[in-house]
Amino acid sequence: MNLSISDNLAASLIAAPIMLPSLAGTMALIFRRRRRIVAAGISIGSTALQVLIAVALLIRASQSDPTPYAMGDWPAPFGIVLVLDQLAAWMLLLTSVVGFAVATHAALTKLDRKGWNFHPIFQFQLLGINGAFLTGDLFNLFVFFEVLLIASYGLILHGQGARRLTSGVQYVVVNLTGSTLFLVGLGILYGVTGTLNMADMAARGAQLAQGDRGLFLAGGLVLIAVFALKAALLPLHLWLPRAYSSTAPAVAALFAIMTKVGAYSIIRTTPLIFGDVAEPILLPAALGTIVLGFAGMLAARGLRDLAAFGLIGSTGTLLVAIALFDGDGLAAALYYLPHTTIAAALLFLTVDLIVRWRGVEGDAIVPTPRFAGASLLAFLFLAGGVALAGLPPLSGFFGKLLILDAALVSPHAAWIWGVILVTSLIAVVALARAGSTVFWKHDDTPELPEDREPPRLVQALPCLFLLALLVGLTVFAGPATRYTQGTAAQVLDKPLYLRSVLGTATTPSPNAQGDAP
Amino acid sequence: MSMEFLIATAIGALTWAGIYLSLRGRTFPVVLGVTMLSYAINLFLFAIGRLKVGAPPIFSEEAATYTDPLPQALVLTAIVISFGMSALVVVLSLRTFLETGTDQVDGEPDPAIDPLDGDRDEWIKRRNAHRIDMLGETRP
Amino acid sequence: MHLVLIAVLPFIGCLLLAAGGRLSRNAQTLVALAPVLAGLWFLGGTAPDILSGSVQSFRAEWVPALDLAFSLRLDGLAFLFTGLILGIGLLIVIYARFYLPGDEALGRFLSLLLLFQGAMVGISLSGNILLLLVFWELTSLSSFLLIGFRSGKAEGRQGARMALAVTGGGGLALIAGLLLLGHIAGTYELGALLARGETIQASPLYPAALILILLGCFTKSAQFPFHFWLPHAMAAPTPVSAYLHSATMVKAGVFLMARLWPVLAGTETWFYLVATTGLVTMLLAAVVGFFKQDLKGILAYSTVSHLGLMTMLLGFGTPGAAMAALFHLLNHALFKAALFMNAGIVDHEAGTRDIRKLGGLATLMPITATLGIVAAASMAGLPPLGGFLSKEMMLEEAAHTVWSGQDWLLPMLAVLAAAFSVAYSLRYIFHLYLGPKRESYPAKPHDPPLGLWAPSALLVVLTILVGLAPNTLTHALMVPAIDAVTGGRAPTFHPALWHGLTPALGMSVVAVAAGAFLLWRHTGLQRGWDVANLPDGKALFESLVERLVDAARIVSDAIHNGSLQRQLAVLFALAIALGAYGMIEGGYTPGTHETLPAHPVAIVAWLLLLSGIAAVLVAQQQRFLTLVFISVIGLVVSLAFVYLSAPDLALTQISVETVTILLMLLALNLLPKKPSRLSSMPLRLRDALIGLAGGGAVGFAAWAVMTREPNDPISTYHWENSVSGGGGHNVVNVTLVDFRGFDTFGEITVLGIAALTIFAMLQPAARGAAGQRLRAWIAELPRSPERHPMMFAVAARVLLPLATIVAIYIFLRGHNAPGGGFIAGLVASIAMLVQYMASGFEWTDARRRIDEHLLIGLGVTIAALTGLGSLIFGAPLFTSAFGHFHLPLLGDFELASAMAFDVGVGMTVIGAVMLALAELSHIAVRANKEDTGTKAAEAGPMDIDPARLRETNGETPA
Repeated sequence: MNLSISDNLAASLIAAPIMLPSLAGTMALIFRRRRRIVAAGISIGSTALQVLIAVALLIRASQSDPTPYAMGDWPAPFGIVLVLDQLAAWMLLLTSVVGFAVATHAALTKLDRKGWNFHPIFQFQLLGINGAFLTGDLFNLFVFFEVLLIASYGLILHGQGARRLTSGVQYVVVNLTGSTLFLVGLGILYGVTGTLNMADMAARGAQLAQGDRGLFLAGGLVLIAVFALKAALLPLHLWLPRAYSSTAPAVAALFAIMTKVGAYSIIRTTPLIFGDVAEPILLPAALGTIVLGFAGMLAARGLRDLAAFGLIGSTGTLLVAIALFDGDGLAAALYYLPHTTIAAALLFLTVDLIVRWRGVEGDAIVPTPRFAGASLLAFLFLAGGVALAGLPPLSGFFGKLLILDAALVSPHAAWIWGVILVTSLIAVVALARAGSTVFWKHDDTPELPEDREPPRLVQALPCLFLLALLVGLTVFAGPATRYTQGTAAQVLDKPLYLRSVLGTATTPSPNAQGDAP
Repeated sequence: MSMEFLIATAIGALTWAGIYLSLRGRTFPVVLGVTMLSYAINLFLFAIGRLKVGAPPIFSEEAATYTDPLPQALVLTAIVISFGMSALVVVLSLRTFLETGTDQVDGEPDPAIDPLDGDRDEWIKRRNAHRIDMLGETRP
Repeated sequence: MHLVLIAVLPFIGCLLLAAGGRLSRNAQTLVALAPVLAGLWFLGGTAPDILSGSVQSFRAEWVPALDLAFSLRLDGLAFLFTGLILGIGLLIVIYARFYLPGDEALGRFLSLLLLFQGAMVGISLSGNILLLLVFWELTSLSSFLLIGFRSGKAEGRQGARMALAVTGGGGLALIAGLLLLGHIAGTYELGALLARGETIQASPLYPAALILILLGCFTKSAQFPFHFWLPHAMAAPTPVSAYLHSATMVKAGVFLMARLWPVLAGTETWFYLVATTGLVTMLLAAVVGFFKQDLKGILAYSTVSHLGLMTMLLGFGTPGAAMAALFHLLNHALFKAALFMNAGIVDHEAGTRDIRKLGGLATLMPITATLGIVAAASMAGLPPLGGFLSKEMMLEEAAHTVWSGQDWLLPMLAVLAAAFSVAYSLRYIFHLYLGPKRESYPAKPHDPPLGLWAPSALLVVLTILVGLAPNTLTHALMVPAIDAVTGGRAPTFHPALWHGLTPALGMSVVAVAAGAFLLWRHTGLQRGWDVANLPDGKALFESLVERLVDAARIVSDAIHNGSLQRQLAVLFALAIALGAYGMIEGGYTPGTHETLPAHPVAIVAWLLLLSGIAAVLVAQQQRFLTLVFISVIGLVVSLAFVYLSAPDLALTQISVETVTILLMLLALNLLPKKPSRLSSMPLRLRDALIGLAGGGAVGFAAWAVMTREPNDPISTYHWENSVSGGGGHNVVNVTLVDFRGFDTFGEITVLGIAALTIFAMLQPAARGAAGQRLRAWIAELPRSPERHPMMFAVAARVLLPLATIVAIYIFLRGHNAPGGGFIAGLVASIAMLVQYMASGFEWTDARRRIDEHLLIGLGVTIAALTGLGSLIFGAPLFTSAFGHFHLPLLGDFELASAMAFDVGVGMTVIGAVMLALAELSHIAVRANKEDTGTKAAEAGPMDIDPARLRETNGETPA
């Protein structure tokens, strides 16, 4: 196909969320010899631009069926296709806004000066995440998983220090193993279906010979295990608390998205390719995750542990909704997903500021001497806590209402309701304890050595930005839910996806120079 | 004995050793284990293209048969990626050892950080270290 | 439209106050008063309409998916309740202005107060029960902040946390309840819902919904056994208590019960749940209140008791009782707010709230005393005051209510409760104001400034007037409210001081007499009470939470013990289990693909491989030996690739092998050699078994796939289009740089990031603890007589150009024969590494012209730009562009783009490998430099050969 340049550029906007950070990353790398400010500028600028691109793509996606984009002009399923649909666009937008907030926060708090190559790696991180959301090819998904993983290794180790390194080793090894499993599942699937394209695999998987089905499902379930590992689903959540609570809180804030990558992959592959085989497993695991996550909040001794376990718990809530695998459940999940991500990010960024401004106690949940800027932080912490616990007036409350509402039809409704509501109470108690101890209970013992950064209120801007996003998600809950309902319908409409992606795949179109056999 | 059997058993053996080693308690065997696993996976991915002898995927009109090129391409990508990964994990384990003086991979839960139990100065020291880790400064 | 303003104004005021922190106290007070006054004004505007029985409403869609709309509904009941909230709120703001000492942040306090007020107004105006939930939980939150306002005090914090936990928890139950209710009724809109009583009460879900909703109401309205949070909420500044516990927060539960009375009340379940809870609460709280020593404690329990009274009345389920409940709602608000302010004044002026330290204040602070006495009399239900009227109604209703066949039980208990309520009211009067004056008080008691007593005075006047002229004053207000609840089924509302000799009158006479008697005997009773020392709800709650936390810690610490082994074991086991599950679910039949006969050489190689594996397992502890075995394994694998017609794989495997081993050599000689401890036997057995299962599973999967017919793989297309479409004969390479060039792009990105991360990791390694270890290690390093063996160095120099040529050759042929950018890059970088080895870091580094970061950056950029380049030709990204343009001089530009792409790959590879290995190889040197600052030419880092290090047990001291 030879489009006019402008049409082609417009079409290629789909690939922008991948190409832009890649170029930004390399630029930041090449110019790193100049003053650091350059790298920071490039990084922030790129994330800001990504927000705009994501918005454009969201609008485009909401107006049309899933749109494939054939990389190298090789038609699906033979080449790699990116697929832009409402789900992908939704995730891209989320990634870009959180990325923007964290990049800015890192620059404002000079976190990026605490080690080498922060901004390049940060951009590559976004590249990996965006790619994972966009690709319609299973092996390409693996590649992007690797990109985002290795970048995450770089970020999680950023700044180093003994505790961070030791937990880093664990994080890396566990995820290496996860990648290995990914390849096992992928290999089996290719061996049985002879394809890598998701849509094609869905089509072929549906008409497999009875004898091949076992292998097919085995491969699929191994993949789901890998996704569950990313999503920190019980019992594969063991890696998260340590990793997230020992890295720089700002990095952990960005990583709030990582668990969602796992959730996304489950949403993307399960209804499309593997069908309902995973359902009986997912729901109990998700419920267990909620319980353990919020119990962990109660047990937490530091604010970072608190946030990390809160992340686990809320992701569990999200997965419960996903595990319903019906329109309402998915719609609820997709509304709750950005909320919980932003809430967790907000909490982590706030904790980062607390650690900086509070002094020697760092993030320990213990009384502190009064410190400057405390009231602002208290407000942010309250907001983050309210959001994470799903209390009004923030969007988490609607998210929970939607999930409970959707769960009514489930045969396990009683369980779901019980767990979600009771754990919310536990979360409230945990947050109230932590908050009142840190901000209300003062211990003005003089002999504490002072090592505090003077509070620079500008550093709180990213937090306020995230809070504003939550408020927006609340005020515009109507449009948002309408969008997620549409998205859920689109995700569950398998024929539509196949039609859109494979449309002309039966007659392989010749590529650029048009001299195919 | 068929070629398929040899390959399958080889993959199995490599995987077994890889899993066993990666479950050891120190970084070196873990690294070995990961390496073993990546061998196993390379073989595995390659094998799912079915085995052929003397039919390299070099295109020519008269080539009667050829091995499935795609898995080979996948393996190449996988090899490169796992190369990068193992390089990273090797250096990381070295770096961690240098920083902490131990190469045990199983950490212990965080020490209780309550100023009220135990010696307060000790606690402040621990908190300082803790905070330095948190803020990502290398130790003074 | 006015409704919206009424609902929104408090929040605006809250924000204004939060913003205007700099304002003077008076200014802040005015800012706080404005929205309240405006609210009252607008409410008044609706009065003629509402009081004539009509309903005003406003609706704006919010979350259609939930049927949650921003819909407001103002009827008689809402009017009454909103009026109370705003009216008393107004007085509280004024009172607070004079009550709070100058050093407390009045602005923040008022802004929180308005936040709370907004939430309350929201509850009373909500026309959608889900919207009501939002405001409901908001009251829990804002009251948490208000109660904890004096955060310095421990009881303040605990009280606040307890209030939040109990009321918030109840709120969660309420969420479930109201969701169910709406589910049953098919709507969340209050107007529609109220019309579906039969549907709701007929539904099997009705009991569940009812219980959940009541949990919400009871916790909020401090009904037994959830009453314990309320007295401890008294830690709040008195204005808060006066507001939350007289007119607003605690009334929310009662309000909601009244609100849903039409659809929920009237059933057996309702009667026994609600009426009984109310009765018990009323009685118990009255008794406890009688024995409290803290003024606010007395008032707190009296509040609980009166809430019980209203709950019980609503529980009766008869229109008449509901009417009484609503009337008491009004009266109680009036006298209780006044009393709290009164107690606050005493605290403020006499310096204590402990009734034992007080007494005889009547002469010292006459105004306060008068107000307190009158209000307390109303609380006691003495004529001619408002309290008397509604208590009469209550007793009247109780008189002819039968509780499970016992017609005497309820009336008797009601009288008993009334007696105790008389008792504590009289105690408030006698022990506080009357009686002998003490010679000393904590502070010098005197009447407060006008601002402090005027608000309560107004309320006291009102309660008197209500008593004297109930009909003229309250009829217009009450009747619409009552109708809104009972749907007009209530008997005519004509409160009067004298109904003739009714049983109710008798009962209240008895109650008053008994109350007086109780007070007379107080001292003795008090002693008995103190001895009895009943368990305190708060203590129970606190210990419960503590135990919960401990339990959570035990569990959580046990599970998240941070052991990598556990994480991996779980992961492996789970993956295996899931795979097996899938196999069983889907079913399996052996394949039909015919197998290859095994060549003897192959079998030998196989044996070699197995023994290599065994050797690695055995020789785990001798590091360098294991590396040798590992490389043997790698060799066999690459042989297999060669034999099974995968030359590219073989080449890549070998070259990667070399570099990896090199890397490990460099890294390992720094790691400690001796294991500090070995894992226990059972543990190793477990791991062996997991490994066995895993190996078996993967091996089987491989076998199963290899032995079945290919399912016409997409690669056929690649084979056919390789030359025509990709312009190369080596299909694998064409796949890499063209069909799936995008994968390769990602792959080199990974490589680049890996290098950057390694760099970032090693840069600081020369400092701090790590640096010390390194220096210690160098000190231990044995010196070889000859640092840079001549032969080696020379050979390396010769090798460099050769290797470079080879690399270029491999690169060029890559597209048509085995080879390509990646392998070329590896070869080149190996050649350069040899220079480091031969001539040491300093020498080579001095001659190194390239900056690896730049190389990586450029490599990825080139690859990316090649991808983007195709845009210019109107083709999608990464479209191979050969044949697009043909320049006569430079000849055919076949492969142009693919080649450029491959160049990018090569550059990245070289950059990454060099960066990683070079960094690793000279951290030691840098450690020295950091130490001495001198250019440490000796101890060239690459002078480490395995042989030497095996002799020295390089156990590096920590």
